[in-house]
Amino acid sequence: MPIARLDAHLVNQIAAGEVVERPASVVKELIENCIDAGATRIEVVIEEGGAKLIRLADDGCGIPEAELPLALTAHATSKLATAQDLAAIDTLGFRGEALASIASVSRMKLMSRTHVAEGGAVVEQNGDERTDVRPVAMAPGTVIEVKDLFWNVPARRRFLRSAAAEYGQIADTVNRAAMANPDVGYTLSHNGRKALNLPPGQSRRERCVAVLGKDLDDALLEFSFEGRAGDGTGGDEAPAEPPRVWGVAGEPSVARATSKFLHVYINGRPVKDRSLNHAVKEAYRGLMAGDRHPVAAVFIQMDPRLVDVNVHPTKAEVRFREPRMMHGLVRSPLRERLLESDITPSVVPAAATGVAGAGSGVGGAPGVGGGIGGGGARDFVSAFETMEPNQKGFVYEEVKRAMAADDLFVRESTAASAADLAAPLDQADQAAAATHTAGASGVTGVRVLQVHDSYVIAEDVDGVLIIDQHALHERVMFEAIEQRILGDGADLESQRMLMPLVIDADAARVALLDDAGPLLGRLGIEAAAMGPSAIGVHAFPSLLLSRGVEPAGFIDGLLGRIEEGDLSGSADALESESALHRVLDMMSCKAAVKAGDRLSDAELAALLKTRDEVERSGSCPHGRPTTVRISLRELEKLFHR
Amino acid sequence: MKVICDRGALVSSLGLVGGVIASRTPKPVLTCVKLTASAEEGLVLEGTDTEVSVRLTTPRVEVAQGGDALIPADKLQQIVRESVDATLTLSTEQDVARIVGKDSKFKVFGHPPTDFPAVTTFTGEADFTIAAGELHRMVAQTLFATARENSRYAINGVLIERTGNKLVVVATDGHRLALARGLCNTDSKETRSAIVPTKALNLLLKLFDDAEETVHVRVEDNQILFKTDQAVLGANLVEGNFPPYGDVIPKDGDKKATVATDALVSATRRAGLLTNEESKGVRMAFTADGLTLSSRAPEMGEAEIAVDLVSYEGDAVDIGFNPAYVLDALKVVDQSEVELELKGSNKPGVIRSGPSFLYVVMPVSLQ
Repeated sequence: MPIARLDAHLVNQIAAGEVVERPASVVKELIENCIDAGATRIEVVIEEGGAKLIRLADDGCGIPEAELPLALTAHATSKLATAQDLAAIDTLGFRGEALASIASVSRMKLMSRTHVAEGGAVVEQNGDERTDVRPVAMAPGTVIEVKDLFWNVPARRRFLRSAAAEYGQIADTVNRAAMANPDVGYTLSHNGRKALNLPPGQSRRERCVAVLGKDLDDALLEFSFEGRAGDGTGGDEAPAEPPRVWGVAGEPSVARATSKFLHVYINGRPVKDRSLNHAVKEAYRGLMAGDRHPVAAVFIQMDPRLVDVNVHPTKAEVRFREPRMMHGLVRSPLRERLLESDITPSVVPAAATGVAGAGSGVGGAPGVGGGIGGGGARDFVSAFETMEPNQKGFVYEEVKRAMAADDLFVRESTAASAADLAAPLDQADQAAAATHTAGASGVTGVRVLQVHDSYVIAEDVDGVLIIDQHALHERVMFEAIEQRILGDGADLESQRMLMPLVIDADAARVALLDDAGPLLGRLGIEAAAMGPSAIGVHAFPSLLLSRGVEPAGFIDGLLGRIEEGDLSGSADALESESALHRVLDMMSCKAAVKAGDRLSDAELAALLKTRDEVERSGSCPHGRPTTVRISLRELEKLFHR
Repeated sequence: MKVICDRGALVSSLGLVGGVIASRTPKPVLTCVKLTASAEEGLVLEGTDTEVSVRLTTPRVEVAQGGDALIPADKLQQIVRESVDATLTLSTEQDVARIVGKDSKFKVFGHPPTDFPAVTTFTGEADFTIAAGELHRMVAQTLFATARENSRYAINGVLIERTGNKLVVVATDGHRLALARGLCNTDSKETRSAIVPTKALNLLLKLFDDAEETVHVRVEDNQILFKTDQAVLGANLVEGNFPPYGDVIPKDGDKKATVATDALVSATRRAGLLTNEESKGVRMAFTADGLTLSSRAPEMGEAEIAVDLVSYEGDAVDIGFNPAYVLDALKVVDQSEVELELKGSNKPGVIRSGPSFLYVVMPVSLQ
């Protein structure tokens, strides 16, 4: 076959292969256009998972009639004029490929009207056939209809998954875009059913909560950080704008099994960046089990010159000029925020919620205003407390009237009902008083109980604490050893061996010792090859020895983990610190009291005392919780009080 | 069988034999003590856990009728201990034992004596004999240094090695090693060694407390037997190879200090007060002017104690030791002065007390 230049339409179809993978990518490209056009409302209509129809309408700046045909041409864009612009991209799109690519694999109808134009104009493209521009009546903005996606590329069409699956991807895309732009309103409907309605002008947090789920509202911690001006600039260019980070992060208790709920944005663009995802996970290190993933949305605003978005056709990947700085920028503020909050998970027994529902049905007197029925008795009581006396009187009368209407008040004696109303008040007062005297947190008193030689039960001002003795002690040991190694900069004290302890090992493991030597040294382990298939241990931490940890088993396990690549013994600073942490995990786990160990009262008291002193005592080094709390309120619910 | 016993003597004999009898075992006969009465030997008590066995003759017994019985040891022991009489009459009929005092009658159900596992008896010539006092000293000076539940089973026991009439007892846990030397009586010139379980030697210390007695020792198959006129102690040997202890005793210690045992004990105890689990080490700084012990526990405090040295030769040296290891050795030293031999801060230290006791202790890293 002779070499021939491809015609423009074929070129566009090939480009579409990169950009337009599936309906969701069409939606992504079109939403980016809407945002770049300054839209305040974006309406997305989907039919049959986007295979039949994708329709986006916005109220953005619109396209002048004369430029409409050009908009459908490849490498035509209004977002970029010079090569300098490419180095500092501040719009979501810039390649000028999207519309042309999409148009080449669908039946597209593009309608637009600028704010100054008298009326709109429409142009349609069907494969490589394009109509003339015709006038059309419409509000200012742009409407794009993409019908029969991939009608002329049957191979692609066959690869589309079920409508539900494709729609799921579209919804994710819209959600991701919606979080980045809280001041833009979004609606999404599928097969005529409205699926999403986000009003314009929401705050960043409101938008994140709306997208991530309202039930997470209480569990989302906000964090932010502002870099110094000039952070990360290189050379003699104009100083870079300081990077800003803002985000919400779910407490470890709401962690998920997949990383789908981790969203990272650079300059409003959702990105998938391994290093930034890693930074978020690192912030949770030790607070969350290793196989869980945090719920978080992280927004980074930074000088566009310091990030290259022109790496990937769909711009999902980016390159940073200073990846290490970006890592720290995300990790540090998030970790600080997580450490400063009380993340002891509360227990709401499944049965209790049902009971509570029934309880509020009785006590909450249906028909009384939202203040009682909605917020729960405790909320009502605290609201009641803050009222002026005349307000209280009014509310009391209101309650009486409502109860009378339900024939409750008249059946029981007035005095009894009044006492009922007063009782929770007293309780609330007492609870408030207790809070004042005992301080904000901390275990009160010394009343502790060890059950099944594994769990410790204690109380604090909010309720009952159930502590996993092994997990807590492991955390305490971990902090002590870590403090010694990282804080004091000292190596762990090691006891030398009278004669080297010989461990059988294959050649690969023996070879590992060269790399792992420095790491082991900091931990007080001195080991060296003894011939080709054995390792001699010359020194071992006295802490582990005194806890009855067998050096052979420990080092065998350690080398096994290094071998599996689970932790690297290399000298890389970042890697070796986390490797050190993982070995400390192992050490503290081995050295800590086990479930099943009976503890004396003095030991229990000492353990609980350290709980208050130790940072991150809420979870063990593996991230399992050390402590769960059953709040007084939950207890009261359980007992129908 | 019927015997009349002195209660006090029986209490202490049962106490000794009870030391080997397991209180919980799936085989009930192993919780029993076997009693054998005869005109020739008087009353003999036997107990075993199948690894270690004891055979002990009870003094001050009048045998009215010979015979044997197998009775739960802890019950018999409790009854005899709680009784108030000076003498008790012990009789058995079939598998039932009756213990009768002036105001009391006990009936205890036992087992058929034939169910009791055969306990190896001391037959044949002794390999060597030794004064009980000397054997007692050598075991006491080493036993504490054994490992506990180490996966190298050999060092959970104590090595007894004889070359001609020279006897060496060695124990180690991998971080320190204690060695005692002594002499025994034998015609043999050969070298023999055996690793003895600690349980047997703990019992030996209680059993052979009369320093003047002579202990006959014999090793056969996988057993070692110790015999005096009253008692026979038998034990299965620990299998495996004891580490070559000669290799780990340093001979190049060029810094030698002599110090009063009491002063070093006191100073080490005091310095040990300010150590904790992660930071156990006590620093010992030796100079010609004296010894300074110091310790530091993070977030707790520091200690410093000065000790006079009787003599010192060599350069100054700093070395860290786990104080517990040092004290263990000083406790069994029977002389008023000890010698310390050192080489460097990460080289083993040696404590000597005369020619008969030597202790190697490995240092801990100093910060």
